[in-house]
Amino acid sequence: MLLREVEYARPKSVEEAIGLLSAHDGARALAGGQTLVNVMKARAASPDVLVDLQDLDELRGVRDLGSGSVEIGAMTTCSQLAGDEAAGARSILGEVASTIADVQVRNRGTIGGNVCSNDPTNHFPPLLVALDASFTIVGTGGERTVPAAEFFLGVYLTAAGPGELLTKITIPPGGQDGFAAVTIGRDGTGIVTVAASLNGGARVAIGCVDAVPVRARQMEEKIGSDYSDESVRAAAHGLGATLDPPSDVHASADYRRHLAEVLAVRALVAARERR
Amino acid sequence: MTETETASRPLVVAPGETKPGFAGTSIPRKEDKRLVQGEGVFFDDVKRHGMGYVHFVRSPYAHAKITSIDVSKALELGGVYGTLTGDEVAILTDPFFELSVKPGADIKDYALAVGRVRHVGEPVAAVVASSRELARDAAELVEVDYEPLPVLTTGEEALKNEVILHDEAGSNVVWQGLFDWGDYEGAVAEADHVVKIERLHFDRFSSTPLECSGVLVEYNRGTGQWTMHGNHQMPGIGAIWMAPALRTGIDKLRFVSQDIGGAFGNKICLHPQYVACCLLARKLNRPVQWTEWRTDQHTANAHGNERTFLDIEVPVKADGTMLGLSVRALDDCGAFPRYEPLGCIIWAQVTPGCYRWRNIRVDFTQVCTNKSPVSPNRGYSRMQHLWLTERVIDLVAQELELDPVEVRKRNYVRADEMPYETPNGCVYDSGDYARALDIALELIGYDELEARRSDVESRGKLLGFGIGSTLDSGTNNFGQSTLLNPELQFSGNNEVATVKLDIFGEIVVTLGTVPQGQGHETTASQVVADILGCTPDDVTVRAGHDTYWNSHAGFSGTYASQFAVTGLGAVKGATDKLAGEIKRVAAAVLGATPDDVELAEGTARLKAAPEAAIPFMGIGAIVNANNAILPEDVRDVTLNCRHVYVPPFQLPDKERKFGNLTLTYAMQVHTCLIEIDPETGVYEIVDYAAVDDCGTRIHPQIVEGQVHGATAQALGAATHEIFAYDEEGNLLTPNFYDYHVPHALDMPPLKTGYLESTSPFTPLGAKGMGEGGGAGIHAVCAALQDALKSRGQPTVWRSCNPFHQVWEYLRDPSRTVEVTKP
Amino acid sequence: MEAQSSRRITVTVNGEEIEYDVEARRLLVHFLRDDLDLTGTHVGCDTGNCGACTVIYNGVLAKSCMLLAIQADGASIETVEGLSSDGELTALQQAFSDHHALQCGYCTPGMLMSATALLRVHPSPTDEQIRKAIQGNICRCTGYVNIVEAIKAASK
Repeated sequence: MLLREVEYARPKSVEEAIGLLSAHDGARALAGGQTLVNVMKARAASPDVLVDLQDLDELRGVRDLGSGSVEIGAMTTCSQLAGDEAAGARSILGEVASTIADVQVRNRGTIGGNVCSNDPTNHFPPLLVALDASFTIVGTGGERTVPAAEFFLGVYLTAAGPGELLTKITIPPGGQDGFAAVTIGRDGTGIVTVAASLNGGARVAIGCVDAVPVRARQMEEKIGSDYSDESVRAAAHGLGATLDPPSDVHASADYRRHLAEVLAVRALVAARERR
Repeated sequence: MTETETASRPLVVAPGETKPGFAGTSIPRKEDKRLVQGEGVFFDDVKRHGMGYVHFVRSPYAHAKITSIDVSKALELGGVYGTLTGDEVAILTDPFFELSVKPGADIKDYALAVGRVRHVGEPVAAVVASSRELARDAAELVEVDYEPLPVLTTGEEALKNEVILHDEAGSNVVWQGLFDWGDYEGAVAEADHVVKIERLHFDRFSSTPLECSGVLVEYNRGTGQWTMHGNHQMPGIGAIWMAPALRTGIDKLRFVSQDIGGAFGNKICLHPQYVACCLLARKLNRPVQWTEWRTDQHTANAHGNERTFLDIEVPVKADGTMLGLSVRALDDCGAFPRYEPLGCIIWAQVTPGCYRWRNIRVDFTQVCTNKSPVSPNRGYSRMQHLWLTERVIDLVAQELELDPVEVRKRNYVRADEMPYETPNGCVYDSGDYARALDIALELIGYDELEARRSDVESRGKLLGFGIGSTLDSGTNNFGQSTLLNPELQFSGNNEVATVKLDIFGEIVVTLGTVPQGQGHETTASQVVADILGCTPDDVTVRAGHDTYWNSHAGFSGTYASQFAVTGLGAVKGATDKLAGEIKRVAAAVLGATPDDVELAEGTARLKAAPEAAIPFMGIGAIVNANNAILPEDVRDVTLNCRHVYVPPFQLPDKERKFGNLTLTYAMQVHTCLIEIDPETGVYEIVDYAAVDDCGTRIHPQIVEGQVHGATAQALGAATHEIFAYDEEGNLLTPNFYDYHVPHALDMPPLKTGYLESTSPFTPLGAKGMGEGGGAGIHAVCAALQDALKSRGQPTVWRSCNPFHQVWEYLRDPSRTVEVTKP
Repeated sequence: MEAQSSRRITVTVNGEEIEYDVEARRLLVHFLRDDLDLTGTHVGCDTGNCGACTVIYNGVLAKSCMLLAIQADGASIETVEGLSSDGELTALQQAFSDHHALQCGYCTPGMLMSATALLRVHPSPTDEQIRKAIQGNICRCTGYVNIVEAIKAASK
C-alpha cells in the first residue's frame, strides 16, 4: 500500500517527456495511474522515476477523420472517450469504455495507459486488435506507427519501449463492431473478453486467454464472408481447443476455452447487428 | 421506500413500561450528523505526538520453520525506532488462553510466530518507524530464513494427522465430539425412505468490513497502563486474552473506540497484533500505531468457518416429513483456534433449524490447517448449520418430487407450538415461520412463477426459484462453552449500562457495548426517552466505548445479535432505577409519595396537579448541589444508576449436552429468482424478497437496514466471495480485486417485509437481530438447484457457486444424493 | 528538467490554498489524512477497488489512493469536509440521514462525493445512473438499497 522511494518529473512537452524517459533507465510514464500506482503500492514493480504526462495536452482528444475512422490521443481518459462526440463516430469505443470498472477509474484511466500496461484482462487491447488499430510511438529516434498485431508483445510489454511514448491510436474506417464479455460482477474484471469487427472480412480478438490478445484466425477463415448464425457457430467450433488459457480462482482453463467459443459467436453476431 | 417519523413528546409514561412512544418509530440517528460530515473518529484518525507506525513482517510460507531472523539492517535505516520478534514475545508474554480441552488446549499461540509459521501472512516480526512508508521500507530489510514444511490446505488432509501443525498438541484435531439427541435409529425404523447426501461443503468467506483492524497504543510507564485506541469489538474477551499474556491486570488494559467501520465478528480476535503493539509501545517508550492493510485482513485476520458435511442421512416419510438427521461435520478453523472451538457448539443453538424433526445426530470434529485463523463471522457457526438444514430440505423435496413450499410448511415449527423446545433443550421463543414464508412468496410474485418460467425459457435461459429460511439466535448463554470443555468457568451473559441525570438536567447514558454502525446511541435514547417522559434529543448517549469510563462486564461488546435484548435491557434497567430516584426526590420536594408522581415533558410532576412540576434540571441541581434540603431517607439518591442485565439462563447439562443456549430466535425467510444462461453458466439474481421477524422493532429503519446489509453479504458469499487457496497455501483472493464483493450494480431489486412476533423472554419484547443467518446463501443454492432440474438435476453441493461452478454443474451434472429404503 | 524526490506543492483543498512539502511517493490519501488532518477521507483497501478514499479532483471524481500528492501540485480538491458549511448539512447529507443510507459511516464520505459529482451533472438521475455512479464505492453494511433511495430523494 506504500510506495518505495521514487523521483518525479512533470514535463511540459512530449519532447521533454521523451528526454526524461530516455535519460533514466528505470523511468516510467505516469498517465492516469490506475494501473501503475497499484503496481507500485504492491511493490510488484518500482520505477526509479515517474514521468507525469498530465500537462501534455497535445496527447488528449479525439478527432473524427471521417467514415467511422478516428484518431485518439493516448492521454484521453475512458470517461472522455465515453462522452466524446468525435468518438461517437465509432460507437463501440465509448460503449466499451463505459463498462470499465467505475467512474473514478474512468475519469483518470487513459486509453494509452490501458493498452501500454497490457494487462491480459484489459478491454482495449482485444478491442483495438479487432478494430485493426495502429499505434503511433515517439522516441528519441523519431516517430513510427505500428499495427495492432505488432504492438502487443507480452504481459505488460508493448512496442512502446523504454524511452518511448505512445502518442495516439488511429482506427481505420468501419463500424460493424461487437464486444462480448463475462466479467467478475458488473463492470468487473474480465474472465474472458472477445471483440469482433466486420470490415471486409471478420476480425475476432480474444482477451484474458493469453499474454496478448489472440486472433481467432481459423474461425475468421472458416467464416469467410458468411456471417449467418449457422456459419458463425460452425466456425467457432474448435476455437477453444486452439487456446491455452490460464486457470485461476475465477475460471479453469477449460471454462475459458468454452467461454471464448461462446463469446466469439456473440461478439460477431453483435458486430453484424450493429446499426 | 423508508420514511422518517419523529414522534411528538409522549405525555405520560407509567413506571417500568415502555409505551410505543419513540421506541417503534424510525427517529433520525444521532450518529449521522458527525458521520455525514466526515467528523467520525475511527482509530486511524487518532494521532499522537511522536507516534511510530508499525509494519508487520509476515510469512510468505503457509508452513515453515523459522531458522533465523535478522533485524539489524532494518534498525540501521534512518527513522526506524525499533523492532520486535517472536523470541522476545516468547520471553515477555505467556501463550494465549486456549478454550479447548486437550489436545487443543496444548496449542501455543503468541502475538508473533515463535519458531514456526503456520499460515501465509502470519506476523513474524514488527518494525516501527517515524512514517508509514519508512516502516514498510524497513520491513523489507528484515531477513528471515525459513525451512518450508508440508502444507495442509483441507480439513480432510489435516484429519489424517500425517503432518502435525502444533507439536505441543500432537494432533491437528482441536476438538471432537458426538451430539446425539432423540432416537435416530428409531427414526430410521419409522421412515419410508432415507435420503442420503454424500457431501456438502460450506465455503470459506468473511464479511470483510470496509475499515481494516488496527490500534494506536500508548503505554504509561508510571502506572503500567496501556491505552489502546482501536476497533476491537469485544473488549471483554480481548482483555481476558491479553491481560494474562502480558502478565498484567485487566484494569491495566484500556480499550477506547468511538466509530468503527463495520466489524461483523472480524474484530474479535485482534489480541495477537494488539499484544505485539503493547510490547512495542512499552519497549520503545512512544505511542505506536498499527493499521492493517486490506491484503493483511484477507490473508491473516479472520475468516468465517469452513465446514464439510459428510454422510448426511435423512429418514423421511413419503409425505416429506423429516424425522431425523445424521451427519459428520468437519470444521476447518485455520492455523490457530483462538475463539474456537466455540463454533463446535454454537451451531447447536439452532440444531433443528426451522424444523420439527426430533432425532438429530452430529459427529463434529474441528481441525487446524495452514490457512488464516477463523473468527466469529456474521452468522457464526449457525449459518453453516442452517445452510445444511436448508440444503437438506431442498433436496428432500426435490428427490421425493414434492412442492418445496408444502414440504417446508409441513416441517416448520408451528406458531402454536411456541415457545418450542428443541431436541437439545433450546427454546425458540416465538415466531410464525409459515406466515413469514407466505409473505416472502407474495413479495416475489410466486403465483406468476410458472408464467415467468416459460417466458425465461423462451429466451433460452433457465429460471430458478429458491427459498432460504434461517434463524438469528441471539443473546448467548456462555454456559454452552462447558459442553465443549467442562473445565471452563463461563456461563450466562451480561451487559451493562449507566444512566445519570446531571446537574443541569442533562441525561447521559453510557453503554457497555461497542457499536459498529448498528445505531446504539439512537435506540438507547429511544428507550430512555419513553421511560423518562422526555425526547431522544434530551438524551445524550456517549459515542463509542471506553473501558476506563463506560461501565462494562465480562461479556460486554457488540456481537452475536443481542443489543436489543442485552444492551437495551441494561439501558431499560438503569433508566427504570433512575426514574424511581427522580420520583423519590420529586415526591419529597412536592410533599407527596412517589406513586403520586409521573414523569412527562421533561419534568417530574404530580399526577393530580400537573402544574406542580419540577424540571429535571431542578432535580439534578438538588441532588448534586443542594442535598441538605432533602429528608434523610432520600439522601441515598445519586441520580447515577447502573444496571447489569442478566438473562435468565441455567447451566446446561453436560452429560446430555442439553439446555437453553440462546434467549431469542429472530427468523428470516428469503425468496429468490435467478436466471441462468445455460451456454455460459453465468447467472443473475433477477428478483429477491426478504422477510424478517425479530419481535418488537425498536427502530424499524435500522432493522430493515440490517436486513439489506445481511442480504448483500449473503449474496456475495453465494456468488463470488470465497477465500480460496492453492496447494502451497497461498490465498488466491487476498484483496478486493480478486475477492469480489457486491457493488451497487450487482444487487438485485430487493423487496422486504416483516412480522413482529414479540419475545416473551426479553425486557422489550425485542429479539436480537442483524446477523441474518445467511438466508441469501440458502435461497440462491435452492434457486440454482431448481433451475438445473431440467439439466440432469445436479446436486448443488457447495455454498459459493461462481459462474464456473454453474458451468461445471451443466457440463457434468453429477448427483450426490439418493433415496434409499431404510 | 530534473526529477525530484520531493517537491513543495500548492494545492487548493475545499477552497483553501495550501503549500506543503511532500515526498514523491506520498499517496494523496495519506497527504489529506495524515498531513492535512482531513480524516474524513478513508482508506479501505490497497488495490484501488473500494472507493472509500474518493474525492473530487479538478472537478472530476477520483480515488485519492490512486493519486500521488506530488501530482496534485496546482490541483483543486474537494473532500467531504468541504460539503457542509458551519455544520449546516447539505440536502444530500440530510437525505442520507433521513433514509438511513449509512450504518457504520466508513464508506459514507466517498459515497457523498460520488453522489455530489453525479448530481452536478445529472440532477435527476435514474436508478441505473445512480448505481453506475456509486459502482466504485463499496459498502458492506447497507446493501446500497437506502443509499440509492437517499440520492434519489436528494435529486430534483
